[in-house]
Amino acid sequence: MDEAKAAQSAAFTWGGVRKGAAAGGAMAANAAVYGVIFGALAAQAGFDLLVAAAMSALVYAGGAQVASLQIWASPIPLAAVWATSFAVNARYILQSASLRPWLRGSPPARTYASLFTLSDAGWAMSLHRWRSERPDAGFLFGTGVVQYLPWVGGTAAGHVLGNRIGSPESWGLDFIFPAFFAAMAAVMWKRRSELGPIVAGGGAALIAERFLAGHWSLVVGGLAGSLVGVIAHGRRP
Amino acid sequence: MAADPEIWIAIAGMALVAYACRAGGYWAMGFVRMTPRLEAGLAAMPSALVAAILARTLASAGPVEIGGVAAAFLVARYAGGDFAGMIAGIAAVAVLRNLGI
Repeated sequence: MDEAKAAQSAAFTWGGVRKGAAAGGAMAANAAVYGVIFGALAAQAGFDLLVAAAMSALVYAGGAQVASLQIWASPIPLAAVWATSFAVNARYILQSASLRPWLRGSPPARTYASLFTLSDAGWAMSLHRWRSERPDAGFLFGTGVVQYLPWVGGTAAGHVLGNRIGSPESWGLDFIFPAFFAAMAAVMWKRRSELGPIVAGGGAALIAERFLAGHWSLVVGGLAGSLVGVIAHGRRP
Repeated sequence: MAADPEIWIAIAGMALVAYACRAGGYWAMGFVRMTPRLEAGLAAMPSALVAAILARTLASAGPVEIGGVAAAFLVARYAGGDFAGMIAGIAAVAVLRNLGI
């Protein structure tokens, strides 16, 4: 973290929301594609249009929603469904924790509203942006809102279209998310001091993947990288 | 299925859990005294988490996906920045797949 920036008080501005929305434009396309896919899956699982759209609007977590469909049954296994939501979303605990040093001074009500829209891509884009600009919770909110609307709209469209949609794979549209993170890594990984956390994070995730289901390997990777950061900090003179 | 109130209980619970994760880390850090050591740990997390996401992608990737990741990384790093890199990665995957690789 750049100490000079951290000392600067954060804000929530509508200009920031606009910037975040503009920056997240490409991820909006991603959200629409995955919304359509989830909507089609939900229709197959027997969900009403209203139920499918409400789930996307309230939960707003594609991975957790798709995973929950795999175990959906009648009667609904509530504990398993909620545990799945936790397993897939636990990485957000780490992401939102990492935002805290940046958002000192941001108005709490708006900050907590912005966190409802927290997404992997929005989180990465915000941290990257805040290294060079005054931290603005509005930016995070903008990246979330611009994905939220196509996600909910895509869910409804996918439910209506069902299986009449072609294969998004031939257009590479299932690859938006990996491509985004490969590009993000290229612009984020700049300092030598990051090499330790990167190797620890990637390595720990690969090892954890062999033993843990869901997205737990991401949590393990993030924690391993943090630990390396803490150890490296202790060694610095 | 909409008539079944149980489905709304299920969705409400999923929504609560998801929001608790999204806000929980931020909230919890408000009770912890921010030391330089803790801040170093939090600052190291983004790069590590991105590495974990990419490692997972590559672990299940074939030649096409590896090519896409390489294209996205190289273009973002050395040519046009993050957005151009992302487009390059998607385009690379689309082209390679349509070539039948």
